[in-house]
Amino acid sequence: MRILGIESSCDETAMALVSENEGGIVIEKSLVASQIDLHKIYGGVVPEVAAREHVSAIFPMLLEMGISRDGHEIDAIAVTAGPGLVAALRIGVELAKTLAWMWNKPLVAANHLEGHVYSVWGQGSKSERVMECKSEGKGKFFDFINKQKKVFLPSLNHSITQPLCLPPQFPALCLLVSGGHTELFLMRDHGQYELIGMTRDDAAGEAFDKVAKLLGLGYPGGPAISKIALEGNPNAIAFPRPMIESGDSDFSFSGLKTAVRVYLEAHPEASVADVAASFQQAVVEILTIKTLAAVNQFSPKSVILSGGVSANRALRDLLSSELTKQFPDVTFHAPDLSLSGDNAAMIAIAGLFRAKQKDFTDPLSLEAQPNLRLV
Amino acid sequence: MISNSLEQTKKLAHDFAATLRGGDVVFLEGDLGAGKTSFVQGVLEALGYTEPVRSPTFSILNTYPIANHPTMARVIHLDFYRFETPKEVQSLGLEEMMQDTKNIFLIEWPEKGIESASPIRYTKRIQFRTMDEQTRDITIS
Repeated sequence: MRILGIESSCDETAMALVSENEGGIVIEKSLVASQIDLHKIYGGVVPEVAAREHVSAIFPMLLEMGISRDGHEIDAIAVTAGPGLVAALRIGVELAKTLAWMWNKPLVAANHLEGHVYSVWGQGSKSERVMECKSEGKGKFFDFINKQKKVFLPSLNHSITQPLCLPPQFPALCLLVSGGHTELFLMRDHGQYELIGMTRDDAAGEAFDKVAKLLGLGYPGGPAISKIALEGNPNAIAFPRPMIESGDSDFSFSGLKTAVRVYLEAHPEASVADVAASFQQAVVEILTIKTLAAVNQFSPKSVILSGGVSANRALRDLLSSELTKQFPDVTFHAPDLSLSGDNAAMIAIAGLFRAKQKDFTDPLSLEAQPNLRLV
Repeated sequence: MISNSLEQTKKLAHDFAATLRGGDVVFLEGDLGAGKTSFVQGVLEALGYTEPVRSPTFSILNTYPIANHPTMARVIHLDFYRFETPKEVQSLGLEEMMQDTKNIFLIEWPEKGIESASPIRYTKRIQFRTMDEQTRDITIS
């Protein structure tokens, strides 16, 4: 079975071809055009700009996928239906509906959050996901790529933390951390989720972005903070660990952001590296402690870390090392760094599992669902 | 008004919610961490919305249905924090949504999305000032 995945929920336009054979899941091709450089100017994602850029990238990208005009090599199409920015989602959704109608192929309405979870199934796949940026190429896509000077070149290196690359076992505890989400849920089987906890205010990635702005660092805030934190002392400032003893699995990052702001106002001469390192340490500890408490409570066989913030090295290291120390039988799974951000391979993989269960949607009536939830 | 805690801020929000009518456009102004989202959480709590209310910074717009209210059907929580130029707000179709007088709008960082020339006007305005880590000066006008 071969799935075409389409993703346009935020600031990445992405398409991927994923197939399954006896050997497992193969990411045949994965293209991502990012608008990060563009949004850097704005310090964040701007819906109108995002939608406009998706429009200019998506058809040239379809051509670049090299699928024949009748789509005969595709078995099904999976598209991110939500959650996300409605104007951005619509671009991918309308393309997917059109292709499904024209090619007469079944359509899967994929959930972006489920896609992030399934990014770990793409872990170490026998992949030939080589994206070449042919700068001499014609068309808007290449103009777009050249203009953004940012092309996704997926690394073929397997993650250091997961040398065996076996898929997660159920039940799996999922920690999903991104700019818009911080959630813990239990996955009992493919497509079966139970919400255990979530942020009560800001997402962890949002806290990174806002603190980066307070510190005068760039967008996106996560990589900027992680980089400068390497030069700082994570124990220099005792920032609060909100909700750490709340007894449930919920999170709160709004107060931590405020604490950083108040600290900076009181200590204008503070070392940016120390503040960044201490803030990051607080976030990473909160996420790790809460996740391990949930492991203790729900006894999963695997822990899945996913979402954009899963690229954070300090978080990967602390969570995986503490998990191994405290629960040696529980396996740890985090996506290959090339799949931690938004991409379409994860959407195609999630779509593949839905397609196997014949969980299809009507291509004429599908609509973008900006507030779509997983559970 | 001075609030010395999150609880007090939410109490102020509860009282404020009782004054809201369908069609209201509320501007919430104040720095990062001043308590704007907490205030909105308090308002929604008072209006009987029981599900979690989270920061709309990433999503820009969150919609919450309100049941059993004589003049309002939904609360639209907006955050223009990420906008650099006010023209970005045009893509939201805000004026169209404002035709429906059963909607009420709670807008964080309005100054980043609504210019003085814009036809959008607030009916209520709340200003938050951070005095120290816990204390906020909240002005409702």
